[in-house]
Amino acid sequence: MSNRQDLALSLMLAVGATFAAVPGHAQPVDTSRIAAGSPNDWLTYHGAYNGWNYSGLDQINPSTVKDLSVAWIHVPGRSTRGLQSVPLVADGVLYYTGSYSRVFALNGATGQVIWSYFPELDEMLVARQTHSPYNRGVALGEGKVFVGTVDGRLIALDMKTGKVAWDSKLQDSQKLTVGFTGAPLYAKGTVVIGSQGGEWPGRGPIYGVDAATGKVKWTFLTVAPTDEEKKTWGNDSWRTGGGGGWMPGTYDPASNTLYWGTANPAPLYDWSGADWKTTGARPGDNLYTTSVLGLDLDTGKLKFYHQELPHDAWDFDSAVGEFVTIDRDGQKYIVHPNKGGFIFVYDSNLKVKNVYPIVEAINFVKSINPQTGELIGRRDFAAGKQAEPLCPAIDGGVSWNSGSYNPKTGMYYKIGNEWCITLDVVKTTPVTEPAAQLNIGANFKLVPPSEGQIYGHLDARDPITGAKKWEVRFPEPPMASVLSTAGNLVFVPDSRGILHAYSADTGGELWNHSDGLGHQGGIMSYAVNGKQYIAVVAGFGGMVSDDFAPTFGEPYKSMPRDDGVLVVYSLK
Amino acid sequence: MACLTFVLLLLASVILGHAVAQPATANAKPSIDVPQLFATTCGWCHSDGGRVAGKGPQLMDSQRSDDFLRTRIKLGKEGAMPAFGSTFSDTDIDAIIRYIRALKPEQG
Ligand code: HEC
Repeated sequence: MSNRQDLALSLMLAVGATFAAVPGHAQPVDTSRIAAGSPNDWLTYHGAYNGWNYSGLDQINPSTVKDLSVAWIHVPGRSTRGLQSVPLVADGVLYYTGSYSRVFALNGATGQVIWSYFPELDEMLVARQTHSPYNRGVALGEGKVFVGTVDGRLIALDMKTGKVAWDSKLQDSQKLTVGFTGAPLYAKGTVVIGSQGGEWPGRGPIYGVDAATGKVKWTFLTVAPTDEEKKTWGNDSWRTGGGGGWMPGTYDPASNTLYWGTANPAPLYDWSGADWKTTGARPGDNLYTTSVLGLDLDTGKLKFYHQELPHDAWDFDSAVGEFVTIDRDGQKYIVHPNKGGFIFVYDSNLKVKNVYPIVEAINFVKSINPQTGELIGRRDFAAGKQAEPLCPAIDGGVSWNSGSYNPKTGMYYKIGNEWCITLDVVKTTPVTEPAAQLNIGANFKLVPPSEGQIYGHLDARDPITGAKKWEVRFPEPPMASVLSTAGNLVFVPDSRGILHAYSADTGGELWNHSDGLGHQGGIMSYAVNGKQYIAVVAGFGGMVSDDFAPTFGEPYKSMPRDDGVLVVYSLK
Repeated sequence: MACLTFVLLLLASVILGHAVAQPATANAKPSIDVPQLFATTCGWCHSDGGRVAGKGPQLMDSQRSDDFLRTRIKLGKEGAMPAFGSTFSDTDIDAIIRYIRALKPEQG
């Protein structure tokens, strides 16, 4: 305790002289501040509610980027499965999480620790989990920092001290075996967090929690919330469940609508063949899995939705939390990537306006009707070994991290992955009670697409039409988020551990630097006292990246998989 | 924290001791269908039914001893392989080990 006071004191002394934005003097972080998205801060997972993953700062730009170098680093320790979170910044203080939901508040200019909080988790449960113990970030609001845990809790900490304000057990993770890895979203007095789902029996709830008290205000079940949707799960197969909303979506203050994406149904692969409406593991559309939802923030009531893949038989879910909001010619568009490698463009009521692929290696459908979103020429498997591999691979044509929209160039920068899997679909007994974890329904192996190698690419596209301006290729798919800035730069943290800066106009590489570990988390930018910083987490290992060593060999074979570091750059 | 680690270790040694001391009787029937189990759970990391390396190592032709395999399946390895000690009986795990030992490359 006295240590902490010393630290706080020296911090105040050190900080008082150099920058005014010390915690305490600032406006509270509230909905209007998050919506406005001041360039000095990064107040919510995607930067602001517009979902752009964009920084309005321009000190670091094509003419200065050569002087970009490491300002400070922070090592969170115990980084099992690497680091996967997006740091947030409010008024010069950086908040981020490591594995086991460890939360740190750091001085954004120096990296000095202001406070840290390590929740005590149910370690026996953690040992039983597959998608654990990583954490993807916090939410800020009402003077608190909110974080979820893999043992089913949502915790609120005092922003200034790190003291627990409340600690709410939202779900029985001991029974379900799953909890929360995604960042929460704060809006207008409510903290929203979605459960893991997809591979487990359970109904994948999304929770709306009172930010002041930690009490659950509403729960939305993504699997058959009412009898009406149960009809879309033949033979009571809603009991095998799935769904969930494990990435934070976003919020529209004008209509009080929460936009959220949902995960796949279980088992991931069905053996129904073409008759999936009447036979197989889960006959029917399986609402509301692999869908995008518009929920009322105050009540959790469903306002509208679009199921991107009715009866998803490929694990190409809609859980990506990226809802990029764009105004063009007086029309509001919402751009949402699907794991199958398609980008869906909606109006604000989630009515399909366009659909375009950003990946070549796609064969689970022939195409998707860009006017209606209807799947054309879908491949539904019967049990047994499939002659032709399934593309994209289970790891996704699009992974869960974010792209970036840059209002200055009008371009959407997004990573696409070219890879496939061999598939042997196995008819299994329904898994209706949590038991041995996953419910996949197939054996598989990662393979290259028929026309060549596995690779990943950064595309610069018109977000509405999908027209491609340029592309940069990577020998292995980059797994981390992308950041673009008003400084006309696009930053891509790659899987080998190199952070690249490209011209946002041309895709020409202007700078790069090694962070020493593969990237699979967030990148963002903020400013303290007039100085721009870029913060990126490095640390590999996890659900997709664990496939890299057996598939690509070095440098992944030698890369430590349970380490992590937060690296913060500024101009020399 | 130290206390928890201790409890875990204690528990681990209890489970382990149990595993080594009481091999399943030959006539007990496993409650699981192992090929199905690989298709639902294990195969997600042990690719192609355990025949090739994926997120987890190749299990076919494993040079590890039965005791090693048994212990890994029971205790897992945090952040890498889930612990299945509370899910499967010794008889089940014997069946899993038999499946692993019998794995052959896929034809064609
Ligand atoms: C989330 C991924 C994952 C799942 C699911 C999983 N494993 Fe593993 N398994 C691993 C990893 C990773 C290792 C290697 C651990 C180490 O030693 O570092 C491993 C190791 C093993 C080993 C020891 C082999 C060796 O040579 O080290 C056995 C046996 C095994 N697993 C069996 C199973 C069985 C049976 C299941 C299903 C009931 C299963 N695993 C499910 C990831 C997984």
